[in-house]
Amino acid sequence: MRSLQINWYSLLKRAFLWSIFLGLGLYAAWPWLPGVGAKHPRAIVVYGFSILGEVMNQGIFPAFQAEWLARSGEKIEFVSSFSGSGTITNQIILGVPAQVAILSLELDALRLVDNHVLAGPTWHDLPYEGVLNRTPFIILVRSDNPKGIASFADLAQPGVEVVHPDPLTSGGAQWAILAEYGSVTLNGGSPEEAYAQLLGIWRNVVAQASSARAARTQFENGFGDALITYEQEAVWDLGRGKLNALIVYPESTILGEHTVVMIDKNISPAERDLVEAFVEFLWSETAQRIFVEYGFRSVDETLNAANPNFGVIAKPFTVKDLGGWVNARDEIINAIWKQKVLPEVGR
Amino acid sequence: MTERTLSHRQRAATLLPVSLLLLVLLPLLLMPLAAIYIFAGSGGWQTFVTSLSQPDAQFSLRFSLLIAFSTALLNAVLGTFAAYVLSKYRFRGREALSVIVNLPVAIPTVVVGTSLLLLWGPIGLLGKFLDPLGIQPMFAPAGVLLAHLFVTFPYMLGAVKPVLDELEVTYEEAAYTIGASRWQTFRFVLLPALRGGLFSGTLLTFAHSLGEFGATVLVSGNLRLRTQTAPLYIFAQFEAGNIEAANAVAAVLATLSFTLFFILLRMTQQPRRSAE
Repeated sequence: MRSLQINWYSLLKRAFLWSIFLGLGLYAAWPWLPGVGAKHPRAIVVYGFSILGEVMNQGIFPAFQAEWLARSGEKIEFVSSFSGSGTITNQIILGVPAQVAILSLELDALRLVDNHVLAGPTWHDLPYEGVLNRTPFIILVRSDNPKGIASFADLAQPGVEVVHPDPLTSGGAQWAILAEYGSVTLNGGSPEEAYAQLLGIWRNVVAQASSARAARTQFENGFGDALITYEQEAVWDLGRGKLNALIVYPESTILGEHTVVMIDKNISPAERDLVEAFVEFLWSETAQRIFVEYGFRSVDETLNAANPNFGVIAKPFTVKDLGGWVNARDEIINAIWKQKVLPEVGR
Repeated sequence: MTERTLSHRQRAATLLPVSLLLLVLLPLLLMPLAAIYIFAGSGGWQTFVTSLSQPDAQFSLRFSLLIAFSTALLNAVLGTFAAYVLSKYRFRGREALSVIVNLPVAIPTVVVGTSLLLLWGPIGLLGKFLDPLGIQPMFAPAGVLLAHLFVTFPYMLGAVKPVLDELEVTYEEAAYTIGASRWQTFRFVLLPALRGGLFSGTLLTFAHSLGEFGATVLVSGNLRLRTQTAPLYIFAQFEAGNIEAANAVAAVLATLSFTLFFILLRMTQQPRRSAE
């Protein structure tokens, strides 16, 4: 009698355990079970730098999918990954199967050439020499701006806490360094003054994140008084009424230009038509309007009026004004930031 | 002595350290865990369900579970085999091998990821010969599986080998004397004795695989809908500021782990209780 009871109990328990495991397994394997999942459609693999996540996933991808469906009757899929521009560049060098990469800065594209991922500066053959859109670098401060920050110079004042993305992995961080430095030298300041400003800002950096987006999350979680970031980050939230901070437009700042590269060795002949159509679509008016809606400044300046939240920058400059990316990297990022500022702040 | 017979003084004497322990554990363990659930519920049930039903959230959970199942299954076989060899055979270098197979516990998982990339990646030692053949284990599900097999290997071994070591050899010898082969002896004598160890080892492997992050983030390429596991999804969404999306998956992952742990606890306590 007693043994019978125990048997029932352990049998029940065992059935329960097995049903948990079988249930989990069934749930996990469901889309791949024969007869359930539809055949896998063709896919485009896109790697993009951090702040592109929303505009691509919610705007550009669905728009292209709809257009392609209307054009060819084929349903396609996007497979994507978004993180710091340097991170995705390193991943591509290591061999991730990216077909299209949207990098924050041309420098990362050049690194792909140096590492034999690309045969040469192939992006120059694309529209606008591969530049997809632009966004200036701005300062984000707490809503009431308690420290009265109005310029990059103010960020160098003692006692200001700055959140900065990490230049090792973030493209935005490299743009930010050029903005911090170039805003002095291109407006009549001496290299010494520019160095002093850069050093002052970096003394105040309290947190570094792997990407501009991650730095933004840190700032939102309460770190620091100011964040140097893409205007897009702030304008996009401003448009949705979700911005819990204040945008400070420096009198002079850099216009970041974002580069599209096609990674030919990862594009099979069967996929080429699709990938090329997608890249072409990126410069279409439809796509550029979506970028403007999400806070990027279009390469077609006439479209930018559509977003009322873009601020005014008195004296914008581009990396060309600093002698191009190779020059800017060697003379500003490497020679000054890496070799002088970093040792000085002890990082 | 049961609790009922404790005097007031004795009870006070236990109350103090217990409450002190709770006081320490509260901010250290209990509150962070509670925060996951509170945050997951803060947007309301609707938000939770919507965040969870996103295709990439669903994919990441399914992919994690599949990887965990495969890892547990493969390592159950591999780990038991390794335990059997290390426990039953005497050979030169056995000690060294025992240490080596346990190394994955001591190596940081990020290092495991790096080393796998440097071996199997397109520029890696072996990978550069495989790449021209079109074989690319890294940045694909196979790479994730390889990483998880590596990282969780010692758990099965740790659960099975001590049982094998302590098992009386007389049963085995008896089996051999009546003409049983090594396989028959293993199947009918050792395996039944190993059931508890096998079960807890498999569960432990499963749980660790479900939560693996450091090695996975490097070898997977973090591709949404392709190789993004649930922990990677949580990290990516949190970094992107989508705290609700991250939290919904985190709550599910935590619940799964609790359930597994609970089962594990019940199972390992079973023999002791029946021995009483």
